[in-house]
Amino acid sequence: MKRFIPHEELARDSRFVRQDPAQATVLASLPDDVDTVVNVFEQFGPLIEAGVRGTSAEPLFDELGPGFMISVLNEPLDPEAGAAVPRLLLRMHGIFVGELQALEGAARSIWDFPDAPWEFKMNMARQCWDEARHIQIFEKLLIHLGGHVGMFPESTFLFEAACSDDPAMRVAGVNRGLEGLACDVFRDMIRFAEKTDDEVMKQAVDYVLADEITHVRFGSEWVKEFTKNDPEHFRKTQDFRREVDKRFSFGGARSDREDAAIPIAREDRLEAGFTEEELEELAQISGEGPSKQTLMTAAKILHDRFKASQAAETTEATS
Amino acid sequence: MSDRMYPGMRAEERTGFAPYSAFDIPADLRELHGRYDVEATALRVRNFRYAEEWMMMMLGGWVATIPEIPVKTGLGKVIWQTAQAADELGKRLPELRCGRKALEASEAANSAFADLIQAIAEPESPDLTIEKLSGVFDVLIPHLVEIYELHNRETDPICDAPTIDILADMIRRKREHIQWGQDVLDALCETDALKQRRRERADHIASLLKASGGVTGVLETGQETLN
Repeated sequence: MKRFIPHEELARDSRFVRQDPAQATVLASLPDDVDTVVNVFEQFGPLIEAGVRGTSAEPLFDELGPGFMISVLNEPLDPEAGAAVPRLLLRMHGIFVGELQALEGAARSIWDFPDAPWEFKMNMARQCWDEARHIQIFEKLLIHLGGHVGMFPESTFLFEAACSDDPAMRVAGVNRGLEGLACDVFRDMIRFAEKTDDEVMKQAVDYVLADEITHVRFGSEWVKEFTKNDPEHFRKTQDFRREVDKRFSFGGARSDREDAAIPIAREDRLEAGFTEEELEELAQISGEGPSKQTLMTAAKILHDRFKASQAAETTEATS
Repeated sequence: MSDRMYPGMRAEERTGFAPYSAFDIPADLRELHGRYDVEATALRVRNFRYAEEWMMMMLGGWVATIPEIPVKTGLGKVIWQTAQAADELGKRLPELRCGRKALEASEAANSAFADLIQAIAEPESPDLTIEKLSGVFDVLIPHLVEIYELHNRETDPICDAPTIDILADMIRRKREHIQWGQDVLDALCETDALKQRRRERADHIASLLKASGGVTGVLETGQETLN
């Protein structure tokens, strides 16, 4: 068995389709400019459409056009808002596949780094069991909310972005980047469950969040250990973590900005070993994307153009 | 009857407490005898740890390349419990005069067993779940359970009780792993052709295991000698 696999080789059953990971990369590098955002999403339109056809995201695409992910990602989950259930299911399915990739990332860390210290392998082995339970928990929650596995396309960019060939960078990417994002998302899900009086979701996600804090702590400790006495290696690892955090901020959807859909879970992250300095840096990195105003204006333009194009096609077909 | 609480220095200064042997309550028929001395047990524990550590590593490698989700999640638990087994064995080594740094010591019994582990770990492609699981759950883990039980029967039941306790806990969990593996393989092997694939894989790995002499390098019970 070889060491290190690309994200394309993550094995899935027949229920899954993949989303092009380029979309997430593009989203992370968009400037604060309406025209550029509109142009980029129009360019990606056919690719986005091909990815959602035959999945439960198809109605969202048909309603909102190629910019549907902008709306979904940048508006906080609100039980009173339109299309609240599909948006919640899209988020929940994203978490489910995120847990799947977190399991795969932790498990590959055991195989990919045979010379790593035993305690590292023990931590990764424990994380495997935790992530396996999280997959089970989120499959249950998905069904609890009326969804099912494979209903949306899966983006494997979490695994792609986080799984470096260097052990220090791997734990920085998986345990601090990916699991740190999980802390932010789960704190937000708990808030949503409180709003909707969903005790089942609230308790289950609260347990998962407790596990994730432990995993981030593994990462915080192993980054220090792997880069001990090597400031240059530590600097490179921090640069990698910043790059991962930038990609995992989805153009500011996860940030400290007032208009963020997913706020940074500062208290949870501090408990997990992030420093105040790192959190300030994360707030700055994640807030660099286009403003919510820019994105929502772009989303409206994309929606209007898409509807106009649909209407033109209908007219052409009937004439 | 003496009412002394503590013995004095003369014969008549004994206490009045009733005399029992260490094996009287409850009745304990164990005897001081065992096939393995300290060095032999230490080597066997390193052999066992080698198998457990490599099994944990290969299962970790496979999680991403197995498409069946319940297999991925089931392996998550097996990986953790296998890591705990290797960890417990490692903690026993300093107690067997292997030095305080021996916690992570693993040793293949011979190069054929090391090759066997690599042969079990070989399947990679996502269409080979049966081959991956059969090597581990049909052959390797049942073999380990057999040898761990053999060790517990043959080692000194009093002197080597800490090893016995560690292996007894491992055996209980390994039986659960075997049952899980059998359930999964039975479900995956729906057709005769798939059942045949499983049998062929198990036979191939079993023949390599036999040729290696097993985890301790001495497979046949009757041929066991001090390592």
